[in-house]
Amino acid sequence: MALLKNPAKAEASEKWEAQLRKGCLELAILASLWEKRLYGLEILRVLEANSNLVLAEGTVYPILGRLKEEGLLHSEWVESDAGHPRKYYWLTDAGLQKVVSMAHFWNSFAANLNHLLKPVLNGKEKS
Amino acid sequence: MNTTVCNPMIEDYFSQLEAKMSDLPQADRQELARELRAHVLDRLDQATVATEADCRVVLKALGTPEEIARQYRLERIMSRSAWRISPLSVLRTLLRWTITGVQGYAVFTVALIGYVLSASFYLAALLKPFFPHNVGFFISSRGLNLAAWPQPHGVAVLDAYFIPLSVLLGYLFTLGTTVLIRSLMRRFATLKQRV
Repeated sequence: MALLKNPAKAEASEKWEAQLRKGCLELAILASLWEKRLYGLEILRVLEANSNLVLAEGTVYPILGRLKEEGLLHSEWVESDAGHPRKYYWLTDAGLQKVVSMAHFWNSFAANLNHLLKPVLNGKEKS
Repeated sequence: MNTTVCNPMIEDYFSQLEAKMSDLPQADRQELARELRAHVLDRLDQATVATEADCRVVLKALGTPEEIARQYRLERIMSRSAWRISPLSVLRTLLRWTITGVQGYAVFTVALIGYVLSASFYLAALLKPFFPHNVGFFISSRGLNLAAWPQPHGVAVLDAYFIPLSVLLGYLFTLGTTVLIRSLMRRFATLKQRV
C-alpha cells in the first residue's frame, strides 16, 4: 500500500498500464476461444494479433489453469503432428455466459469512458 | 526440427522453475511444466535447426521462472476451488504468505486466533461428558467461561444443549475465520499484483 502512495511519475503510469493489461487479459483469453478450441500458443497468437496485452507469454498458462478450476474452460491433451501433445482449451457453458456478460460490461464501460475522454482528446488536438 | 543445442538451456530453465515451485502440489507443477515445454517446442519449430540464439529468444519471451511461479501462486490464491474449509490448508497457505510481509503476518494472526477459539469450543464439547460440572457456558462478572477447575464461577446457561451448541459454535468459528481470511487474502493478492 505504501508503494502505491508516492511512486515516481513515470513508474506510476507504467504500473497503471500494466494493471490495465492484467485486468483485461482474462476477458481477452476467454474471447479468443469464442470461435473454436485452441491451445496455449494459438491463444497467444490471437492475443498478439489483436492486442498487446501479454507481457510474459508463460504467465498465460497459470491463468488458463485458474479459469479451468473456476469451471469456465475445459481442456484436453491432443496428439499433434509436431511430435508432442498440445493442451487444447474451450469454453464451458458457464464460460460462454461469462464472456458474454463481460463483453457487455466492457462495452458500456468503454463507451462511458470514451465519452468522458472526448474533451481531453479534442483539447490535445487543438493545441 | 532439431533442438539439440537448446536442450541444456531448456533443462536449466525448467529445473529453475521446478525449484521456484517446489512447495506446490507435484501434479499441478508437472502439468504446468508439460504445457510450457510444449510451448517452447512449438515456438522453436519455426526454425528448422534451432540455434542457441533462437532458444534464448523463446525463453526470454516466455518470462523468467520467477515471473511464472509468482503468477501461478497468485492464480491459486484467486481460485475458489484451491480453498477448502480445512484450517490446516488455510494455515499452510498463510504461512507461506507470512514470509512475504506484514500483511501476511497480520492475516496469519487473525487466522490463528479464530482457529484457536474454534478449537476451544470443540475441545469443550469433547470434555463435557467427562467433566459435566466443570465444562459449560458459565456467565459471571468476568464474562463467559467455558471450563474451570476445581469450581466454575457464575451461572451455567443452556447446560442441556451444551454439546450441540459448542460444536456449532466451533464450526461457525472455523467457517467464519476461513471466509474472512479468504476475502482478506484476495484483497491483498490484488494489491500485490498492482505493485
